[in-house]
Amino acid sequence: MPMSQDQLWYKDAIIYQVHVRTFFDTNADGIGDFRGLAQKLDYLQELGVNAIWLMPFFPSPLRDDGYDIAEYRSVHSSYGNLDDFKGFLQAAHERGIRVIVELVLNHTSDQHPWFQESRKSKDNPKRDWYVWSDTDTKYQGVRIIFVDTELSNWAWDPVSKEYYWHRFFSHQPDLNYDNPAVREEMWNVMKFWVELGVDGFRLDAVPYLVEREGTSCENLPETHAVLKELRAKLDLNYPGKMLLAEANQWPADLRAYFGEGDEFHMAFHFPLMPRMFMGLKLEDRKPITEILKQTPQIPGSCQWCLFLRNHDELTLEMVTDVERDYMYDQYARDKHMRINVGIRRRLAPLLDNDRRRIELMNGLLLSLPGTPIIYYGDEIGMGDNIYLGDRNGVRTPMQWEGGWNGGFSSADPESLYSPLMLNPVYGFQAVNVQSQKRFDHSLLSWMKRIIKVRKSTPVFGRGSIEFLYPANHRILAYVRQLDKESILVVNNLSSTAQAVELDLRQFKGNILIEMFGRNIFPRVGELPYLLTLGPYQFYWFRLRKI
Amino acid sequence: MAEESILTDEFLRQLIDVGEADVLVGVPTYNNAATVGQVVQTIRAGLLKYFPRERAVIVNADGGSRDETSNLVRGASINDLQHSTDLNALRTLHSISAEYAGGPATGTALRTILASAELLRVSACAVVSPESTTIEPEWIERLLRPVYQGNADFVTPLYRRHKFDGLLMSNLVYPMTRAFYGKRVREPYASEFSFSGPLAGHFLTQEIWVNEVGHTGTEIALTISAITGGFRMVQSFLGVKPRLDARSADLIDAMRQTVGALFWSLEPNFSLWSSKGDSQPVPTLGGEQEVTLEPLRVNRKRLLAMFRSGVAELEPVLKSILSAPTLAELQRIAALSEEEDFCYGDELWARTIYEFAASYHKAVISRDHIVQALAPLYRGRAFTFLVENRDASGEQVEQNIENFCLTCERLKPSLLELWNGKK
Repeated sequence: MPMSQDQLWYKDAIIYQVHVRTFFDTNADGIGDFRGLAQKLDYLQELGVNAIWLMPFFPSPLRDDGYDIAEYRSVHSSYGNLDDFKGFLQAAHERGIRVIVELVLNHTSDQHPWFQESRKSKDNPKRDWYVWSDTDTKYQGVRIIFVDTELSNWAWDPVSKEYYWHRFFSHQPDLNYDNPAVREEMWNVMKFWVELGVDGFRLDAVPYLVEREGTSCENLPETHAVLKELRAKLDLNYPGKMLLAEANQWPADLRAYFGEGDEFHMAFHFPLMPRMFMGLKLEDRKPITEILKQTPQIPGSCQWCLFLRNHDELTLEMVTDVERDYMYDQYARDKHMRINVGIRRRLAPLLDNDRRRIELMNGLLLSLPGTPIIYYGDEIGMGDNIYLGDRNGVRTPMQWEGGWNGGFSSADPESLYSPLMLNPVYGFQAVNVQSQKRFDHSLLSWMKRIIKVRKSTPVFGRGSIEFLYPANHRILAYVRQLDKESILVVNNLSSTAQAVELDLRQFKGNILIEMFGRNIFPRVGELPYLLTLGPYQFYWFRLRKI
Repeated sequence: MAEESILTDEFLRQLIDVGEADVLVGVPTYNNAATVGQVVQTIRAGLLKYFPRERAVIVNADGGSRDETSNLVRGASINDLQHSTDLNALRTLHSISAEYAGGPATGTALRTILASAELLRVSACAVVSPESTTIEPEWIERLLRPVYQGNADFVTPLYRRHKFDGLLMSNLVYPMTRAFYGKRVREPYASEFSFSGPLAGHFLTQEIWVNEVGHTGTEIALTISAITGGFRMVQSFLGVKPRLDARSADLIDAMRQTVGALFWSLEPNFSLWSSKGDSQPVPTLGGEQEVTLEPLRVNRKRLLAMFRSGVAELEPVLKSILSAPTLAELQRIAALSEEEDFCYGDELWARTIYEFAASYHKAVISRDHIVQALAPLYRGRAFTFLVENRDASGEQVEQNIENFCLTCERLKPSLLELWNGKK
């Protein structure tokens, strides 16, 4: 299947997020690899996704799930080699699937040769590649991100006897972007992967690149300048490649990362995600409409990235204290479910494995403005293991079948990189791809259908949104429009049946065609349009004037 | 013919939009634009502060206001269009308004609020007066919390009142309710109270709605219904009770609403009150009733004059209501020339009320006339209370009220004798 040549391809993408380690193991070492990932591309093509976001696969001591990179131009030996990666990339492209790789700009592992050089002495040529200080009092007041593990953003280096700056774990020293040599080298890293054929980069932790005294050291103009410089080089040399920002910020602060269409193509909409869960639990659209109303307009070439769950905790940094307490009480009563400022759980357990709520949340993900990201395993309703450390509980092996190791690996179960899910509800014998493929009404089959419907029109990826405000606050309704095509989306956030009257006078004369069954609903007239919805039910209607 | 619904289609539509709620605050209104805006904004603040996670709704039952009352109530909503900057505002807060038919009537307003509570399946419902300008957000918590998270079914308020405020309450309504029904509910006729969802359903099935008390005096009828139904009662201290303009308070209306409803309740509840012994205290949250002592001008002479003229002018009526010894004693004290000698004491006053209650039961004359005839006598009692407590401390005032209550309880057997006797 040829890939679209449209440079705005990311607007129509359905992205599948996966770590190569978790997906499929071909060499029986208990760890997923690129050959395994390549073998499962047919599954992803069948699912309907058309882009894969690969989490870090570079050589690393793996103290932060690969976000502690020790070598930027290679593949961690556990996952194969560069040729394996190239083989996977080619196979993906042959299926019309683009590949987005991770690039951690902000920091390296302390095992990276650059840092090893840098710490050797104060006059080492690489000394200035990192942020050093003879005191730990600079940049006072800058928040600590990993509050559960770090006491300071400075760490003492006993080798060169100075402090180095780190916004994340202390084994992840921050690179010094005031140094032109660092900027040049990171551009070279990007070039390396682009020339291999990758289609885009997810740039990790971008708000923290540059530090300045007296500031929060986040979202600084100097940081934006670094990012714009990279984007300009990319556009000039490799048009059509995409940059995706990871910046866990409020929408107003995030807006700056799009620049005038000259910085990032896409950015995650972090504040929306917890509010979708909040709206569902409150049975009230207010949290969702409120945050989307606060979301600023972005340049026409840019796009929001939406997600329900990912490899990290369900972050609660971008909510108020009251909202955070509510989320903890509702979704993470057990302390094991909490980490940092968030909740380390997968989609299905968060929603009590309620199929109707899982469908509704996916319906929202796929119909709100933005490019959706599906976290691996959520398409079959995989569970989590909250008793594993860090966020490893949501990073367990993909469950392919009910047999040996869930079909993930032929290695001894004890040698797997992570224990499999074993419990009777979420274990691989109950939840796996093979069994769900057999039934038209499985979650997997349903996911395939909704993705297909989403892809049947560019409206969802590119259209505008206009909220309707029916008096029934449990109903979230909006119209997506692109050119002459309009789609009405009506969601019941409540656990009970609801009636709603929609003011659709602007569409008077249109008939409604339900997009899943293609059934015709009554024509829109002058009177409010009455709909009834079952618990957590949603409709997507194409508005047609025939 | 089917009974007509008290809920209009438009209001029903608003209830459908609300759907289901955990807590409800009802505000009965009629031309209250001067104060209701402040009251509903405080209610809103209380709901956001103390019940941010609960599905909450403010329901206004309006008797046909011609001012801005309804709009002011609706203005307290929080939704997609009426955004709140309050960080506690997690969810939509509906503030809806219903205009009921038939003109202003507290009973109809309360029935509308009760029906809303039942239809919305609320766990706890409070009623707040639109004139309670001293309301604080904490009132909402103190009213709703004992029901919503405690085990109370009915919460009545305790206030900080001036020692001469609410004389009808302290000299008649409270002592008599307590003596009749055995519960020491300090404010049985309250403009603020709360109740549970099941109790709302119970209230709606009561006979009061087809009687006069379903229109006036509904508040005390509800209190009595909660007591006689065996529901769990709690008193909750709210704060300062606002003093209403005395000129606006019509004593005859007040007597109808309180004494009339109280006497009326004795009929259907005879088996219950006739077997009740000593009264029992009601659990109290947040402190006891408080009394303030600042100087207050009261026209005592007028009270006494109205008592004297009432006893004289109503003699034929009083003859048909009161026993001969009681009437003679009233005539004796009415004839006293010196104010200082005048005393309408506890025992005489309690006996008077019981004889009125028995006459009401027997309908010796029009029941409304019986209630009205008590008004001048109450004025005489009020005069005595004001004189006796002129220099009394808060504690002394409360003790004097308690003594009167005990007198009422002690003399209650006399009512039973009268109830079944020929006169």
